[in-house]
Amino acid sequence: MFAIRGEVDRVNAPELCAILDAVIERHPSVVLDVAELGFINGWGLGVLAAQASRHRRSGGTLTIRSPSATVLRLLDITGLAEVVLLEHADPSRRHLAVGQSSEIDEASFGPEPYHVPAHAGMITAIPADTDVVDGTLRLVVTLARATVGGADGASVSLWRNGHLATVAASDKTIVDMDASQYATGEGPCVDASVKGRRFHAESLGIETRWPTFTPRAQALGINAIMSSPLLTEDRPVGALNIYSRTAMAFASKDQELASLFAAEVSHILACAGVDVTDEQLSRRRNEALAIRRLIAQAEGVIMEREGVGADDAYSLLCDYSRTSNRPFREGAEDVVASTQRFRRGAESEPRQSHHG
Amino acid sequence: MAERSAAGHPAVLLDRYRLNAGLSHGDLWLRYFELGGMDDALELEAILCGALRPSVHDREVIAHALNERFVELGGNHPVPYSESDAERRREAPER
Repeated sequence: MFAIRGEVDRVNAPELCAILDAVIERHPSVVLDVAELGFINGWGLGVLAAQASRHRRSGGTLTIRSPSATVLRLLDITGLAEVVLLEHADPSRRHLAVGQSSEIDEASFGPEPYHVPAHAGMITAIPADTDVVDGTLRLVVTLARATVGGADGASVSLWRNGHLATVAASDKTIVDMDASQYATGEGPCVDASVKGRRFHAESLGIETRWPTFTPRAQALGINAIMSSPLLTEDRPVGALNIYSRTAMAFASKDQELASLFAAEVSHILACAGVDVTDEQLSRRRNEALAIRRLIAQAEGVIMEREGVGADDAYSLLCDYSRTSNRPFREGAEDVVASTQRFRRGAESEPRQSHHG
Repeated sequence: MAERSAAGHPAVLLDRYRLNAGLSHGDLWLRYFELGGMDDALELEAILCGALRPSVHDREVIAHALNERFVELGGNHPVPYSESDAERRREAPER
Protein backbone atom coordinates (compact mmCIF):
# COMPACT_ATOMS: atom_id res chain seq x y z
CA MET A 1 0.00 0.00 0.00
CA PHE A 2 1.09 3.54 -0.54
CA ALA A 3 -0.42 6.96 -0.16
CA ILE A 4 -0.79 10.15 -2.14
CA ARG A 5 -1.03 13.46 -0.37
CA GLY A 6 -1.56 16.97 -1.67
CA GLU A 7 -2.75 17.47 -5.21
CA VAL A 8 -2.19 15.65 -8.48
CA ASP A 9 -2.21 17.77 -11.58
CA ARG A 10 -0.64 18.18 -14.98
CA VAL A 11 2.74 18.95 -13.44
CA ASN A 12 3.15 15.89 -11.23
CA ALA A 13 0.88 13.36 -12.96
CA PRO A 14 3.77 12.04 -15.12
CA GLU A 15 5.80 11.51 -11.95
CA LEU A 16 2.94 9.59 -10.38
CA CYS A 17 2.56 7.57 -13.57
CA ALA A 18 6.24 6.62 -13.55
CA ILE A 19 6.05 5.48 -9.95
CA LEU A 20 2.90 3.45 -10.47
CA ASP A 21 4.47 1.92 -13.56
CA ALA A 22 7.34 0.75 -11.39
CA VAL A 23 4.92 -0.59 -8.81
CA ILE A 24 2.92 -2.66 -11.24
CA GLU A 25 6.06 -4.39 -12.48
CA ARG A 26 6.30 -6.05 -9.07
CA HIS A 27 2.77 -6.09 -7.71
CA PRO A 28 -0.36 -6.94 -9.68
CA SER A 29 -2.58 -5.49 -6.96
CA VAL A 30 -2.15 -2.17 -5.24
CA VAL A 31 -3.97 -0.22 -2.55
CA LEU A 32 -3.72 3.50 -3.04
CA ASP A 33 -4.58 5.51 0.05
CA VAL A 34 -5.92 8.88 -1.04
CA ALA A 35 -7.29 10.07 2.30
CA GLU A 36 -4.96 13.07 2.18
CA LEU A 37 -5.33 13.74 -1.52
CA GLY A 38 -6.95 17.14 -1.76
CA PHE A 39 -7.55 17.27 -5.49
CA ILE A 40 -6.83 15.32 -8.63
CA ASN A 41 -7.49 16.72 -12.08
CA GLY A 42 -8.01 15.05 -15.46
CA TRP A 43 -4.33 14.27 -15.90
CA GLY A 44 -4.17 12.45 -12.59
CA LEU A 45 -7.43 10.64 -13.20
CA GLY A 46 -6.06 9.56 -16.57
CA VAL A 47 -3.06 8.03 -14.81
CA LEU A 48 -5.32 6.13 -12.42
CA ALA A 49 -7.52 4.92 -15.29
CA ALA A 50 -4.53 3.66 -17.24
CA GLN A 51 -3.14 1.94 -14.17
CA ALA A 52 -6.50 0.34 -13.34
CA SER A 53 -6.61 -1.06 -16.84
CA ARG A 54 -3.06 -2.42 -16.59
CA HIS A 55 -3.76 -4.00 -13.22
CA ARG A 56 -6.84 -5.69 -14.56
CA ARG A 57 -5.02 -7.01 -17.63
CA SER A 58 -2.37 -8.47 -15.36
CA GLY A 59 -5.03 -10.16 -13.22
CA GLY A 60 -4.75 -7.77 -10.29
CA THR A 61 -6.71 -4.86 -8.90
CA LEU A 62 -6.24 -1.21 -8.12
CA THR A 63 -7.96 -0.22 -4.90
CA ILE A 64 -8.58 3.42 -4.05
CA ARG A 65 -8.86 3.79 -0.31
CA SER A 66 -10.55 6.54 1.71
CA PRO A 67 -11.28 9.07 -1.04
CA SER A 68 -12.51 12.47 0.15
CA ALA A 69 -15.94 13.64 -0.97
CA THR A 70 -14.33 15.76 -3.70
CA VAL A 71 -12.15 12.96 -5.02
CA LEU A 72 -15.04 10.51 -4.82
CA ARG A 73 -17.20 12.87 -6.83
CA LEU A 74 -14.52 13.12 -9.50
CA LEU A 75 -14.23 9.34 -9.59
CA ASP A 76 -18.00 9.10 -9.96
CA ILE A 77 -18.30 11.76 -12.64
CA THR A 78 -15.61 10.18 -14.76
CA GLY A 79 -16.89 6.64 -14.29
CA LEU A 80 -13.57 5.65 -12.75
CA ALA A 81 -15.38 4.53 -9.60
CA GLU A 82 -16.72 1.64 -11.67
CA VAL A 83 -13.28 0.53 -12.77
CA VAL A 84 -11.35 0.54 -9.51
CA LEU A 85 -12.14 -1.01 -6.15
CA LEU A 86 -13.20 1.56 -3.59
CA GLU A 87 -12.62 1.28 0.14
CA HIS A 88 -14.11 3.90 2.37
CA ALA A 89 -13.14 2.61 5.80
CA ASP A 90 -9.57 2.99 6.86
CA PRO A 91 -9.13 1.24 10.20
CA SER A 92 -5.51 0.58 9.50
CA ARG A 93 -3.28 1.92 6.81
CA ARG A 94 -1.67 -1.51 6.57
CA HIS A 95 -4.94 -3.32 6.02
CA LEU A 96 -4.90 -4.89 2.59
CA ALA A 97 -7.71 -4.89 0.10
CA VAL A 98 -9.78 -8.00 -0.35
CA GLY A 99 -8.22 -10.14 -3.00
CA GLN A 100 -4.90 -8.47 -2.78
CA SER A 101 -2.24 -11.07 -3.18
CA SER A 102 0.87 -9.23 -2.20
CA GLU A 103 1.97 -6.40 -0.03
CA ILE A 104 3.98 -3.46 -1.20
CA ASP A 105 6.73 -2.55 1.14
CA GLU A 106 6.70 1.15 1.70
CA ALA A 107 10.46 1.00 2.00
CA SER A 108 10.48 0.89 -1.78
CA PHE A 109 9.54 4.55 -1.64
CA GLY A 110 11.53 5.49 1.42
CA PRO A 111 10.44 5.54 5.04
CA GLU A 112 7.43 7.76 4.32
CA PRO A 113 4.60 7.04 1.93
CA TYR A 114 5.13 8.67 -1.43
CA HIS A 115 4.19 12.30 -1.19
CA VAL A 116 2.98 14.07 -4.29
CA PRO A 117 4.03 17.67 -3.76
CA ALA A 118 1.16 20.11 -3.46
CA HIS A 119 1.06 22.79 -6.12
CA ALA A 120 -0.46 26.06 -5.04
CA GLY A 121 -1.52 26.80 -8.57
CA MET A 122 -3.94 23.96 -9.09
CA ILE A 123 -7.29 23.89 -7.40
CA THR A 124 -9.24 23.87 -10.64
CA ALA A 125 -12.40 21.93 -10.13
CA ILE A 126 -14.39 20.03 -12.68
CA PRO A 127 -16.15 21.60 -14.43
CA ALA A 128 -13.91 24.44 -15.29
CA ASP A 129 -11.47 25.26 -17.97
CA THR A 130 -10.79 23.74 -21.33
CA ASP A 131 -7.55 22.12 -20.19
CA VAL A 132 -9.32 20.29 -17.38
CA VAL A 133 -12.24 19.27 -19.56
CA ASP A 134 -9.89 18.00 -22.24
CA GLY A 135 -7.93 16.08 -19.61
CA THR A 136 -11.12 14.42 -18.45
CA LEU A 137 -12.03 13.56 -22.03
CA ARG A 138 -8.63 11.94 -22.50
CA LEU A 139 -9.43 9.87 -19.45
CA VAL A 140 -12.76 8.80 -20.92
CA VAL A 141 -11.06 7.85 -24.18
CA THR A 142 -8.56 5.75 -22.24
CA LEU A 143 -11.37 4.07 -20.33
CA ALA A 144 -13.48 3.47 -23.42
CA ARG A 145 -10.62 1.89 -25.32
CA ALA A 146 -9.75 -0.28 -22.32
CA THR A 147 -13.25 -1.46 -21.53
CA VAL A 148 -15.28 -1.61 -24.76
CA GLY A 149 -14.80 -5.04 -26.29
CA GLY A 150 -13.24 -4.96 -29.76
CA ALA A 151 -12.07 -1.36 -29.42
CA ASP A 152 -8.69 -0.59 -30.95
CA GLY A 153 -8.97 3.13 -30.54
CA ALA A 154 -11.30 5.87 -29.39
CA SER A 155 -11.70 9.60 -29.68
CA VAL A 156 -13.92 12.49 -28.71
CA SER A 157 -14.89 15.05 -31.34
CA LEU A 158 -16.45 18.37 -30.36
CA TRP A 159 -17.84 21.33 -32.21
CA ARG A 160 -15.48 24.21 -31.58
CA ASN A 161 -15.78 27.53 -33.37
CA GLY A 162 -18.12 26.02 -35.91
CA HIS A 163 -15.84 23.11 -36.80
CA LEU A 164 -15.48 19.58 -35.52
CA ALA A 165 -12.21 19.04 -33.69
CA THR A 166 -10.68 15.98 -32.05
CA VAL A 167 -10.04 16.93 -28.43
CA ALA A 168 -8.96 13.49 -27.22
CA ALA A 169 -7.74 10.43 -29.12
CA SER A 170 -5.99 7.24 -28.21
CA ASP A 171 -3.40 7.37 -30.99
CA LYS A 172 -2.31 9.02 -34.23
CA THR A 173 -4.30 6.65 -36.46
CA ILE A 174 -7.47 7.64 -34.66
CA VAL A 175 -6.65 11.33 -35.05
CA ASP A 176 -6.20 10.69 -38.79
CA MET A 177 -9.49 8.80 -38.90
CA ASP A 178 -11.36 11.71 -37.38
CA ALA A 179 -9.58 14.23 -39.58
CA SER A 180 -10.49 12.23 -42.66
CA GLN A 181 -14.16 12.46 -41.73
CA TYR A 182 -13.96 16.20 -41.13
CA ALA A 183 -12.20 16.64 -44.49
CA THR A 184 -14.72 14.60 -46.46
CA GLY A 185 -17.70 15.84 -44.46
CA GLU A 186 -18.94 12.29 -44.08
CA GLY A 187 -18.60 9.35 -41.75
CA PRO A 188 -20.26 8.15 -38.55
CA CYS A 189 -18.52 10.76 -36.42
CA VAL A 190 -19.75 13.63 -38.56
CA ASP A 191 -23.27 12.23 -38.79
CA ALA A 192 -23.52 11.54 -35.05
CA SER A 193 -22.26 15.07 -34.31
CA VAL A 194 -24.75 16.64 -36.71
CA LYS A 195 -27.81 14.44 -36.36
CA GLY A 196 -27.49 13.64 -32.67
CA ARG A 197 -27.99 9.87 -32.91
CA ARG A 198 -25.69 6.88 -32.92
CA PHE A 199 -24.11 5.70 -36.17
CA HIS A 200 -22.66 2.22 -36.26
CA ALA A 201 -20.68 0.94 -39.22
CA GLU A 202 -20.54 -2.76 -38.38
CA SER A 203 -18.37 -3.67 -41.32
CA LEU A 204 -16.82 -1.08 -43.63
CA GLY A 205 -16.49 -3.81 -46.29
CA ILE A 206 -20.23 -3.61 -46.90
CA GLU A 207 -20.74 0.02 -45.92
CA THR A 208 -22.38 2.29 -48.52
CA ARG A 209 -23.34 5.41 -46.56
CA TRP A 210 -19.99 7.17 -46.73
CA PRO A 211 -18.44 6.36 -50.14
CA THR A 212 -15.58 8.89 -49.93
CA PHE A 213 -14.58 8.29 -46.33
CA THR A 214 -14.95 4.49 -46.13
CA PRO A 215 -12.01 3.60 -48.44
CA ARG A 216 -9.76 5.95 -46.48
CA ALA A 217 -10.68 4.20 -43.24
CA GLN A 218 -10.05 0.80 -44.73
CA ALA A 219 -6.69 1.99 -46.00
CA LEU A 220 -5.72 2.67 -42.38
CA GLY A 221 -6.87 -0.79 -41.35
CA ILE A 222 -10.16 0.24 -39.70
CA ASN A 223 -13.12 -2.06 -40.32
CA ALA A 224 -15.77 -1.06 -37.77
CA ILE A 225 -16.75 2.28 -36.25
CA MET A 226 -19.27 3.23 -33.62
CA SER A 227 -20.00 6.92 -33.06
CA SER A 228 -22.28 7.90 -30.19
CA PRO A 229 -23.60 11.47 -30.04
CA LEU A 230 -22.65 13.77 -27.19
CA LEU A 231 -25.76 15.70 -26.29
CA THR A 232 -26.32 18.65 -24.02
CA GLU A 233 -29.94 19.70 -23.65
CA ASP A 234 -30.70 17.36 -26.54
CA ARG A 235 -28.43 19.31 -28.85
CA PRO A 236 -25.46 17.45 -30.37
CA VAL A 237 -22.12 18.96 -29.39
CA GLY A 238 -19.89 16.19 -30.73
CA ALA A 239 -19.39 12.44 -30.72
CA LEU A 240 -17.58 9.66 -28.90
CA ASN A 241 -15.98 7.50 -31.59
CA ILE A 242 -14.78 3.95 -31.12
CA TYR A 243 -12.80 2.25 -33.86
CA SER A 244 -11.92 -1.39 -34.46
CA ARG A 245 -9.68 -3.19 -36.92
CA THR A 246 -12.11 -6.10 -36.80
CA ALA A 247 -15.40 -6.12 -38.68
CA MET A 248 -18.47 -6.84 -36.55
CA ALA A 249 -16.32 -6.20 -33.48
CA PHE A 250 -18.91 -4.51 -31.29
CA ALA A 251 -21.38 -6.79 -29.51
CA SER A 252 -24.58 -5.37 -28.09
CA LYS A 253 -23.07 -5.04 -24.61
CA ASP A 254 -20.20 -3.04 -26.12
CA GLN A 255 -22.68 -0.77 -27.85
CA GLU A 256 -24.42 -0.23 -24.51
CA LEU A 257 -21.11 0.52 -22.85
CA ALA A 258 -20.27 3.06 -25.54
CA SER A 259 -23.63 4.75 -24.97
CA LEU A 260 -22.91 4.82 -21.25
CA PHE A 261 -19.57 6.52 -21.82
CA ALA A 262 -21.19 8.97 -24.22
CA ALA A 263 -23.81 9.82 -21.58
CA GLU A 264 -21.06 10.42 -19.02
CA VAL A 265 -19.14 12.65 -21.41
CA SER A 266 -22.34 14.55 -22.23
CA HIS A 267 -22.85 15.16 -18.52
CA ILE A 268 -19.30 16.40 -18.09
CA LEU A 269 -19.65 18.70 -21.09
CA ALA A 270 -22.97 20.07 -19.89
CA CYS A 271 -21.45 20.82 -16.47
CA ALA A 272 -18.49 22.48 -18.15
CA GLY A 273 -20.74 24.73 -20.18
CA VAL A 274 -19.65 23.28 -23.51
CA ASP A 275 -23.29 23.51 -24.59
CA VAL A 276 -22.92 27.26 -24.65
CA THR A 277 -22.86 28.13 -28.32
CA ASP A 278 -20.33 30.43 -29.91
CA GLU A 279 -23.13 32.92 -30.53
CA GLN A 280 -24.22 32.86 -26.89
CA LEU A 281 -20.64 33.28 -25.71
CA SER A 282 -20.07 36.13 -28.11
CA ARG A 283 -23.26 37.83 -26.96
CA ARG A 284 -22.26 37.38 -23.31
CA ARG A 285 -18.85 38.92 -23.97
CA ASN A 286 -20.41 41.87 -25.76
CA GLU A 287 -22.78 42.38 -22.83
CA ALA A 288 -19.84 42.30 -20.44
CA LEU A 289 -18.01 44.87 -22.53
CA ALA A 290 -21.06 47.15 -22.62
CA ILE A 291 -21.54 46.93 -18.84
CA ARG A 292 -17.85 47.50 -18.27
CA ARG A 293 -18.04 50.66 -20.39
CA LEU A 294 -21.12 51.81 -18.46
CA ILE A 295 -19.34 51.28 -15.14
CA ALA A 296 -16.33 53.24 -16.37
CA GLN A 297 -18.64 56.12 -17.33
CA ALA A 298 -20.31 56.02 -13.91
CA GLU A 299 -16.91 56.05 -12.22
CA GLY A 300 -15.98 59.12 -14.25
CA VAL A 301 -19.16 60.91 -13.21
CA ILE A 302 -18.57 60.14 -9.53
CA MET A 303 -14.90 61.14 -9.74
CA GLU A 304 -15.91 64.49 -11.17
CA ARG A 305 -18.78 65.08 -8.75
CA GLU A 306 -17.13 63.86 -5.59
CA GLY A 307 -13.56 64.85 -6.37
CA VAL A 308 -12.29 61.31 -5.65
CA GLY A 309 -10.00 58.88 -7.43
CA ALA A 310 -11.08 55.95 -9.59
CA ASP A 311 -10.78 53.32 -6.87
CA ASP A 312 -12.81 55.43 -4.42
CA ALA A 313 -15.42 56.05 -7.07
CA TYR A 314 -15.61 52.31 -7.63
CA SER A 315 -15.97 51.71 -3.89
CA LEU A 316 -18.84 54.20 -3.74
CA LEU A 317 -20.62 52.34 -6.52
CA CYS A 318 -19.90 49.09 -4.69
CA ASP A 319 -21.35 50.47 -1.45
CA TYR A 320 -24.45 51.62 -3.29
CA SER A 321 -24.91 48.21 -4.86
CA ARG A 322 -24.52 46.52 -1.50
CA THR A 323 -26.74 48.79 0.55
CA SER A 324 -29.47 48.91 -2.08
CA ASN A 325 -29.03 45.18 -2.83
CA ARG A 326 -29.12 45.98 -6.51
CA PRO A 327 -26.71 44.84 -9.18
CA PHE A 328 -23.69 47.00 -9.77
CA ARG A 329 -24.85 47.55 -13.33
CA GLU A 330 -28.10 49.16 -12.24
CA GLY A 331 -26.30 51.54 -9.90
CA ALA A 332 -24.00 52.54 -12.74
CA GLU A 333 -27.00 53.07 -15.01
CA ASP A 334 -28.57 55.33 -12.40
CA VAL A 335 -25.42 57.40 -12.09
CA VAL A 336 -25.02 57.81 -15.83
CA ALA A 337 -28.72 58.59 -16.26
CA SER A 338 -28.46 61.15 -13.48
CA THR A 339 -26.19 63.28 -15.62
CA GLN A 340 -29.28 64.12 -17.67
CA ARG A 341 -31.35 64.91 -14.60
CA PHE A 342 -28.38 66.70 -13.05
CA ARG A 343 -28.50 69.17 -15.91
CA ARG A 344 -32.11 69.83 -15.02
CA GLY A 345 -31.19 70.32 -11.39
CA ALA A 346 -32.50 66.99 -10.16
CA GLU A 347 -30.68 64.92 -7.57
CA SER A 348 -29.71 61.36 -8.45
CA GLU A 349 -30.60 58.50 -6.15
CA PRO A 350 -27.11 56.95 -5.98
CA ARG A 351 -25.57 60.31 -5.22
CA GLN A 352 -27.85 60.69 -2.23
CA SER A 353 -26.89 57.31 -0.89
CA HIS A 354 -23.21 58.06 -1.24
CA HIS A 355 -23.63 60.98 1.04
CA GLY A 356 -25.91 59.12 3.34
CA MET B 1 1.28 37.49 13.00
CA ALA B 2 0.89 33.81 12.54
CA GLU B 3 1.75 32.56 9.12
CA ARG B 4 -1.30 31.41 7.23
CA SER B 5 -1.45 27.99 5.70
CA ALA B 6 -2.35 27.81 2.01
CA ALA B 7 -5.80 26.53 2.92
CA GLY B 8 -6.42 29.53 5.16
CA HIS B 9 -5.11 32.07 2.69
CA PRO B 10 -7.72 34.78 2.09
CA ALA B 11 -7.50 34.31 -1.68
CA VAL B 12 -8.14 30.60 -1.31
CA LEU B 13 -11.16 31.49 0.80
CA LEU B 14 -12.36 33.52 -2.17
CA ASP B 15 -11.99 30.40 -4.26
CA ARG B 16 -14.16 28.49 -1.82
CA TYR B 17 -16.81 31.16 -2.23
CA ARG B 18 -16.46 30.68 -5.99
CA LEU B 19 -17.06 26.96 -5.65
CA ASN B 20 -20.04 27.56 -3.37
CA ALA B 21 -21.45 30.00 -5.89
CA GLY B 22 -21.22 27.31 -8.56
CA LEU B 23 -19.05 29.43 -10.81
CA SER B 24 -16.24 28.08 -12.95
CA HIS B 25 -13.06 30.14 -13.11
CA GLY B 26 -14.16 31.25 -16.57
CA ASP B 27 -17.59 32.33 -15.33
CA LEU B 28 -16.10 34.32 -12.49
CA TRP B 29 -13.55 35.96 -14.77
CA LEU B 30 -16.28 37.15 -17.14
CA ARG B 31 -18.20 38.66 -14.22
CA TYR B 32 -14.99 40.19 -12.85
CA PHE B 33 -14.16 41.61 -16.28
CA GLU B 34 -17.68 42.99 -16.60
CA LEU B 35 -17.24 44.84 -13.31
CA GLY B 36 -14.04 46.44 -14.54
CA GLY B 37 -11.42 43.90 -13.46
CA MET B 38 -8.14 44.35 -15.32
CA ASP B 39 -6.45 40.98 -14.83
CA ASP B 40 -6.71 38.24 -17.40
CA ALA B 41 -8.30 34.88 -16.65
CA LEU B 42 -5.02 33.16 -15.79
CA GLU B 43 -4.03 35.92 -13.38
CA LEU B 44 -7.41 35.71 -11.69
CA GLU B 45 -7.01 31.97 -11.29
CA ALA B 46 -3.56 32.54 -9.81
CA ILE B 47 -5.06 35.00 -7.34
CA LEU B 48 -7.72 32.52 -6.32
CA CYS B 49 -5.09 29.86 -5.78
CA GLY B 50 -3.04 32.19 -3.61
CA ALA B 51 -0.19 32.35 -6.09
CA LEU B 52 -0.71 36.06 -6.83
CA ARG B 53 -1.67 38.70 -4.32
CA PRO B 54 -4.55 40.88 -5.50
CA SER B 55 -4.51 44.64 -5.14
CA VAL B 56 -7.05 46.09 -2.72
CA HIS B 57 -9.12 47.17 -5.70
CA ASP B 58 -8.94 43.77 -7.39
CA ARG B 59 -9.96 42.07 -4.18
CA GLU B 60 -12.99 44.35 -4.02
CA VAL B 61 -13.96 43.62 -7.63
CA ILE B 62 -13.62 39.86 -7.15
CA ALA B 63 -15.65 39.98 -3.95
CA HIS B 64 -18.34 42.00 -5.62
CA ALA B 65 -18.49 39.68 -8.63
CA LEU B 66 -19.02 36.79 -6.21
CA ASN B 67 -21.53 38.72 -4.13
CA GLU B 68 -23.63 39.57 -7.18
CA ARG B 69 -23.84 35.86 -7.89
CA PHE B 70 -24.84 35.13 -4.29
CA VAL B 71 -27.53 37.83 -4.49
CA GLU B 72 -28.86 36.09 -7.61
CA LEU B 73 -29.01 32.92 -5.53
CA GLY B 74 -30.85 34.66 -2.71
CA GLY B 75 -27.88 35.55 -0.51
CA ASN B 76 -26.88 38.92 0.86
CA HIS B 77 -23.29 39.81 0.03
CA PRO B 78 -21.60 37.10 2.12
CA VAL B 79 -18.13 37.72 0.71
CA PRO B 80 -16.07 40.30 2.64
CA TYR B 81 -14.85 43.12 0.42
CA SER B 82 -11.51 43.48 2.19
CA GLU B 83 -9.49 42.13 5.05
CA SER B 84 -10.80 44.87 7.32
CA ASP B 85 -14.35 44.09 6.21
CA ALA B 86 -13.75 40.44 7.07
CA GLU B 87 -12.41 41.47 10.48
CA ARG B 88 -15.41 43.72 11.06
CA ARG B 89 -17.81 40.94 10.13
CA ARG B 90 -16.09 38.53 12.52
CA GLU B 91 -16.47 41.02 15.36
CA ALA B 92 -20.08 41.97 14.56
CA PRO B 93 -21.70 39.27 12.48
CA GLU B 94 -24.57 40.48 10.31
CA ARG B 95 -27.95 39.12 11.15
